[in-house]
Parts: sequence; structure tokens; C-alpha cells
Amino acid sequence: MKIGEKKKEVVINLLSLVGFVLLWQIILILTREGIFSIPFIRLRDIPTPVETWHALIGSMFTRIYGPSLTYGIYNHVFASLERVIEGGIIAFIIGVPVGIGVGYSRIIGNIFNPIIEIVRNMPPMAWIPIAIFIFVSGGSIFIVFIGVVFPIILNTIQGVRSTDERLLDAARTLGASESKIVTKVIIPSAFPSIMTGLRIGLGVGWMAIVAAEMVIRSPVGLGYFIWNMGDLGRYSEMIAGMIVIGVIGYIMNISILLLQRRFIKWED
Amino acid sequence: MGRLVLESVTKKFNSFQALENVSFEVADGEFVCLLGPSGCGKTTVLRLAAGLEAPMGGNLLLDGNKIEGVNKECGFVFQEYALFPWRTVKENIEFGPQAKGLNKNECDRISKHYIDLVGLNGFENHYPKELSGGMKQRVGIARAYANNPKLLLMDEPFGALDAQTRNLMQGELLRIWEKEHISVLFVTHSVDEAVFLGDKVVVMSARPGKVKEIFDVKLPRPRIRTSLEANIIRDKVLKSLGMEIKLAMKDQ
Amino acid sequence: MKNSVKKLFIVIFVIFSIFVAGCLQSNQTSENSAPINLVKMSGQEMIQKLGTGEIAGFIMWEPYPAIAVTKGLGKDLILSGKIWKDHPCCVIAYDEDWYKSTNNSDEILKRMALAQLKSVEYINNAKQSDSPDHEELINYTMQFGGMTDPAAANLSLADVEFVYNTNIPGTTTFIKNIQDFGIFDMGKWNQSGYKNASDYANSLVTNNYVDWAINNKDADFSGISLQEPVNVRYGYLINDIHELPFYIGWQKGYYKNLGINISIGEGAPFQNGAFEMQKGFKSNTIDIGSLGIPPVIIHRINSNDFSTDDARVGVIAGMNNEGSVIVVSNNITSLKDLSGKTVGYPGPGTIQHVLFLMAAEKEGLRVSN
Ligand SMILES: Nc1ncnc2c1ncn2[C@@H]1O[C@H](COP(=O)(O)OP(=O)(O)O)[C@@H](O)[C@H]1O
Ligand SMILES: [Mg+2]
Repeated sequence: MKIGEKKKEVVINLLSLVGFVLLWQIILILTREGIFSIPFIRLRDIPTPVETWHALIGSMFTRIYGPSLTYGIYNHVFASLERVIEGGIIAFIIGVPVGIGVGYSRIIGNIFNPIIEIVRNMPPMAWIPIAIFIFVSGGSIFIVFIGVVFPIILNTIQGVRSTDERLLDAARTLGASESKIVTKVIIPSAFPSIMTGLRIGLGVGWMAIVAAEMVIRSPVGLGYFIWNMGDLGRYSEMIAGMIVIGVIGYIMNISILLLQRRFIKWED
Repeated sequence: MGRLVLESVTKKFNSFQALENVSFEVADGEFVCLLGPSGCGKTTVLRLAAGLEAPMGGNLLLDGNKIEGVNKECGFVFQEYALFPWRTVKENIEFGPQAKGLNKNECDRISKHYIDLVGLNGFENHYPKELSGGMKQRVGIARAYANNPKLLLMDEPFGALDAQTRNLMQGELLRIWEKEHISVLFVTHSVDEAVFLGDKVVVMSARPGKVKEIFDVKLPRPRIRTSLEANIIRDKVLKSLGMEIKLAMKDQ
Repeated sequence: MKNSVKKLFIVIFVIFSIFVAGCLQSNQTSENSAPINLVKMSGQEMIQKLGTGEIAGFIMWEPYPAIAVTKGLGKDLILSGKIWKDHPCCVIAYDEDWYKSTNNSDEILKRMALAQLKSVEYINNAKQSDSPDHEELINYTMQFGGMTDPAAANLSLADVEFVYNTNIPGTTTFIKNIQDFGIFDMGKWNQSGYKNASDYANSLVTNNYVDWAINNKDADFSGISLQEPVNVRYGYLINDIHELPFYIGWQKGYYKNLGINISIGEGAPFQNGAFEMQKGFKSNTIDIGSLGIPPVIIHRINSNDFSTDDARVGVIAGMNNEGSVIVVSNNITSLKDLSGKTVGYPGPGTIQHVLFLMAAEKEGLRVSN
């Protein structure tokens, strides 16, 4: 019964994807035949799904034309992921202790809260101009860091503060010192929230990295790739790159969810 | 040892008088039930005894020592179990010993002993979410015992269980208590439960929380729930409580 | 449920392994040949980053090389004339949609070519330091190029050869190189229907207007001015000394005297030619403009939908030859030294991009872009 419903859902999901691609193809054919148009939008420039597919395959791996070495989407994905992971790790290392401190101690909270509250409202993209100038290298990693660190901090705070009072009482009556309470009760109890923060943060970081790569130039990275393809008027490669960005973001989200489910066996 | 004495204990939450002049005693090895309408301050008494709250007036003494700060010589068993969901049965029971800094072998020995005692063999590596309510409370009891307390504080531990499991658990609790023989202060709002378990039943009245009457239950164990003597005591307690319930309802 | 989780894990693991393999692969290629990394940036950034050592060099249009050199931040390594002598560079182009919808477009284009001829003649005279117009020219150069240092203005003028002639053989060579360097979208190239590079060059470039301008170069403007003044929305590149003739013609009133009112098109001046093609000509916000010949060549293929004239432009006159420079920090002595280092350029598909690839090809070097 349940499995049957799951299957049904998967079928509907797949059909919706197929339907979307078909609609995309049909609209473009109608546009190119001059039957369909939308004012102020150059639909003609959008490649068809088929063209996009060919572009994706054609630009997947590094190509060499005489002196010119053009990195494949493959390399761009790897470069972007590397930056997101590096920025994510730094954000995790800084964000979790800050979140625990702020969530646990009123004094630490009062010290950090004003900064957190102001800085977290500056979107990662707003940091791009300054990152261009102050970072000799690694500016895009910094942008990811900004994107990831606040969801981690906020979710950690929330996780720490929502620790069940009774568990704290239980730990106290069982003779746990305050430091043991932090390490043995508060942190494990906040762990799912921390993971959620990491997941949301990496989602933000992934979007931020692509934006950052469009501005903070380095020779590889998906943001750089789609901007380059735009400069060359190669719209099908550009769209292929955009789709890869979406798919990688989705895979990243799902992977962390699964990891979370795998390693937090105790959660309902 | 494990003698708890309350001397004219009062407690206020802001302007709300939760306890007024509460005095009673749990003798060493005694099983005392605390009975009263909800909101009369039973939990507050336990929390004071555990040192999780401080009284406004009066004294709480454990073996003659004033309880100040968290009382690490008591074990607390909560109504909703309050197990650490990320710890297995074994790890939950080992929390206290680990917090005390005992080594792994000792922790293993202790957890094995109490797992045996509460009958959870085969469930050592289960997480709380995989257990039934009765099993969870067995873990709760074992965890409290594992810390080798002088006094066990139990706050409606079987309140969330169905009648059958509840009866079973009451029997189990007595079995364990008789083996380990420490003092117990057991909060309940069930007269049947109080009379079945307690050496003494302390009836409290509400607004403000006060001790209304104390009944000695001098019945031999194992007790028979439907015995005439039990019924007589139950009747007295109910009467004392019944008036109280009416009064409390009028107040609202 | 458990099973599907396992399967998903396997999938993720496989994807992860592919990435790791990808990392190893990309590391390998870079170790074998250590490509020079071209990174897109603005001229301002090039100067700043050369100063801080973030880039080892850049290839850019004048005046940026001259500014960097006069500030002592770097030195000329290769003038673009050394890569390809007398190569065409910026050109004047018109939008096909505008051409078709304007009744006297041919007459307008003839006069655009003539104004260009006059400006070039003026500049070539005034370039001589003993010319009475020299100081005026230097002032125009500093204004247009955003410079404050007359030495930089002089230096930048020295590298550029201003022309008005079209150059079909040079255009053909560019098309061939662009093809060889894998810059064309081959699907689009096949759709375009051009047989080969020279076929495409011939369809792109028209000599008539320059021919007319040469025939009328001594005529009095008032005699050949348009009866009814027309408005032309013009596009050009930011601070590009290559396009100084346009600025001269505009400032000295050559266009106006020939009956053409120049208004600066929306979005102009542009950061690079790719932008001018896509945001200017294609969006029909530009009627006529000056830009590098490679963006014209590339976008008339890649950005085009051949059922319309959207990205179709025609070239009517030259602007300049040569005039781009590879500037490097002082410790670099050859192009080889740039291997594995980062070099700024104005973007993919620009003339500087193509020239840099040509320079690297000569030396057998590899360039990542
Ligand atoms: N932390 C607290 N702050 C304010 N009021 C409280 C607090 N704890 C308990 N009370 C109040 O004290 C009274 C007694 O509570 P409690 O001891 O929990 O009653 P019982 O366990 O008998 O139901 C109740 O009216 C309750 O609302
Ligand atoms: Mg209570």
C-alpha cells in the first residue's frame, strides 16, 4: 500500500519533469516558427532541451583546441564544490562553537547577538565587492563562508535553546557537571539542528559561490563557466551549466539529508 | 541511609504560593507516596528534594544534611521518562556512572546489573524511540538506580502507561525496591497506586500546597489489591482527598 | 525504504568517485603543460592586480598598458603588432535591423565612413609632436581614455595605428583562428550557411562606404551633408583608445556637420565587445557602433538566430590596427614565464583573447580560458 503510493509519487514526479522538458521544446519550436512570442523576452535565444543536452555532453570534459585549453563542466563542478566544501568546513568550525556559546550562555549571547543580527542580514552577494578587493585569493571561499556560517549559527542556537529542560534536570540529578552537560546533553541534542543548519547553509553557500565566481574570477568554477559561455553567446552551454548547478545543489541537499538520517539513528 | 526530612518548607513562584509549611519525612528505606490533586505542588516537592529548586523557607535535609544545590545523592524518575534519545538503553543507564568518571569496565558492570534487574536483556543497544512506554520507564528506573542514590524521587512514573502495564510495573518496582532497598518518594494522583505501593501516603491539598493528612499503610507485602484492609485505607484516603478535590474545583 | 537509502548511497558514492577522479585528471593536465590562466577583469582591475602581484600580467587595449607602464607597475612584453603585424582591431559596424528600417541608411553609412576618414587624418597629423594640434589631441586622448598623465596618453597613442580601411583578408584570418580555437558554436556555424572563412568575411565586410569616403574626402562638408539631419544611437567601448577617432569626430563635430546627430546608445560605453553585441546590437539599442572585429565575428554566429537579423551586423570601416599589449610584471621576461600564472584579459571572445591565443600558439604554450 505505502510502497505503491511511493511509486505513484515517483512516477508523477518523473512525468512532471518530462512534461516540463516537452513544454520547453514545444514553446521553442513555436517561437522559432514565429507562432509564439512574449514581448520584451528573446525566447529565440533560449536553446531547446535537445541542444542543451548536446551542449552538456560536448562540454562535459576538458577540450583542447590548439593553444586553447577549455575546462569541462566536470572540472568546473569540482572546483566549485571544493570551494563550497572549504568554506563550509570553516563555517562549521566557527559557527558551531559560536552557536553553542550564544545559545548556552546569556553573557556570550549578549556579546555576539548584535553582531550576528546585523551581519546575518547582509546577503552573501553584498560581500562580493569587498571580497574582490581584500582577498588576494580565496575570495569566493569567503563568500561561501558568509553564506554557510549564519544558518549554522542560528540553527545551533535554536538547537541549544530547545534542549529539553527535563533532560538537563535528568543530567544534573545524575551528577553531570556543567561542562559534561554541554558536551553530553546540549550538543547531542542540538546535533540534528546543527546538521539542518549545515544543510541550509550549504544550499545558500552553493548559490553564493556561483554568484561569487561570476565576479571573483578564477579560471574554473561553474559560475565562471556560465558567465564565459554567455560572453561567447553560447547559450546552450550556459543553460547546461545552469542545470548542472541545480542538479548538484539538489544532490548536495539530499546527500546531507541521507547522511543525517544515517548517522542520527535515534531521531524520530 | 537515606532519610529525607521536610521542615516547614515553603515555596513561591513570583507571588504564587506553591507550597506552605510542608513537613513530612521519608524514613530510611521507606516507600512514601505523595498524593494530591494536580497543581498542589507534588512535583515542586520532588524538585526541591532533588535540589533543582531552592525553598523560600524551611529546611530539606537528607540524612541530616541540608540540601543545597543539585542533590547528587538522589535519583529522579520522570513522568515522560526524559531518556536521552541519542543514547541506547545501555548508554542511558551508564550516564550517571560516566558522569562520575568511572571507567569503562565499571560502567559495563553497573549497566549490566541494572539491565538484568529491570529485565531489559536483549535491548541494550536499542534507542528509546524503539521501546514501549513500560520499557522506557524501566530504563528510567535503571538509570536512576545506576547512580547508587540514597533516595529515589519518582514523579508519576507510570502515569502515561495503560492500566495493565501500570500494574505490572508497580509489581516490578516493588521487586526492585525490595532488592536494592533505598528510600522512595513516589508522586502519584492515583489512590490505588499509592495504597498498593506506599508504606506511608502523604495527602496534599492545593492552593496553597499543604500537607493535609498522612496515612500509614501497615499492610504486609506482597499486597493484594482487593483485600479488605486495603479497601478500608483506600476509603479513608479517598475521603480525605475527595473533599480536597471538591475544594480545588470550587477554586477554579 | 532501507534498501532505497542504500542504493542512493551507492549512487552518491559513485558520483563522488567521479569527482575525485576528475580532480586527479585536471591536476594531471595542469602538471604536464602548466597552462597560462586567462582571467576576465576590467582594465582598472588589471592595473590594480598587477600592482598587488595577484596577476603576473595582462593583455589589454590601450590606454591600460600605457598607464601600467608609466606608473611603473609593469613593462610591455609583446606589442600586438609583434604577434601579427598590422592586424585589424576595432571596426565600425551597423545593425542590420536598423539598416533595413531606415530608408537612407546607405547615405548615413557613407558619411559615417567619411567622418572616420577625417578623424584618422586629423589624429595622424596631430600625433607628430611638432604639430600645432598635438596638445589638443593629447587632451582628447586623456579625456576619452580616462587618463591624468600626458605621458601615458603619448605612450598609448604610439602603440595604435589608426585606420579607416576595411580589411577582408585580415578578417578572414581572424575567422580562421576563431574557428581553430574552438570558439564558434559549431551547430550555429553549420546553420549559418557560410562555406568558409573568406565567404563569411566577404558577407561581413562592405568596402563601398569607405570607397565613397575616399572619393569625397576633399569635398566641402556642407555640400555633401544629409538634407535632413538624422539621429544615430552609437555604441563604443569604455576608455578604449582604439576608438579615439569616434571621439574626435564627435567632439570636433564631423558627424554633426555631415548631418548626423550622435546620441550615446543605452548601455554604452560597454565593458567589452561581447556586451556591445548582445546588449547593444542584438537588443536594438545601438544603430551603429565601434568594437573589436572578433566579437562581431563570434556573435554574428553564436548569438544569432538565422531566421532573423537580430545579431546580424555589417562592418563598414576600420578603426585601428594593432594597439593591444601584453604587459607583465618586471620579473617576467618571456611568455613562457607566464606558464601556470594568472593573466588578466577583457573576456572571452575579445580581440585580446584571440591575440593572446595566437601568441601562445607561436611559442607552443597552452592557455586555459
Ligand atoms: N517554575 C514555575 N513557575 C511558576 N509556577 C510554577 C512553576 N512550577 C510550578 N508552578 C506552579 O506551582 C503549582 C504546583 O505545581 P506542581 O508542583 O507542578 O504541581 P503538581 O505536580 O502537584 O501537579 C502549579 O500551580 C504550577 O502552575
Ligand atoms: Mg506534577
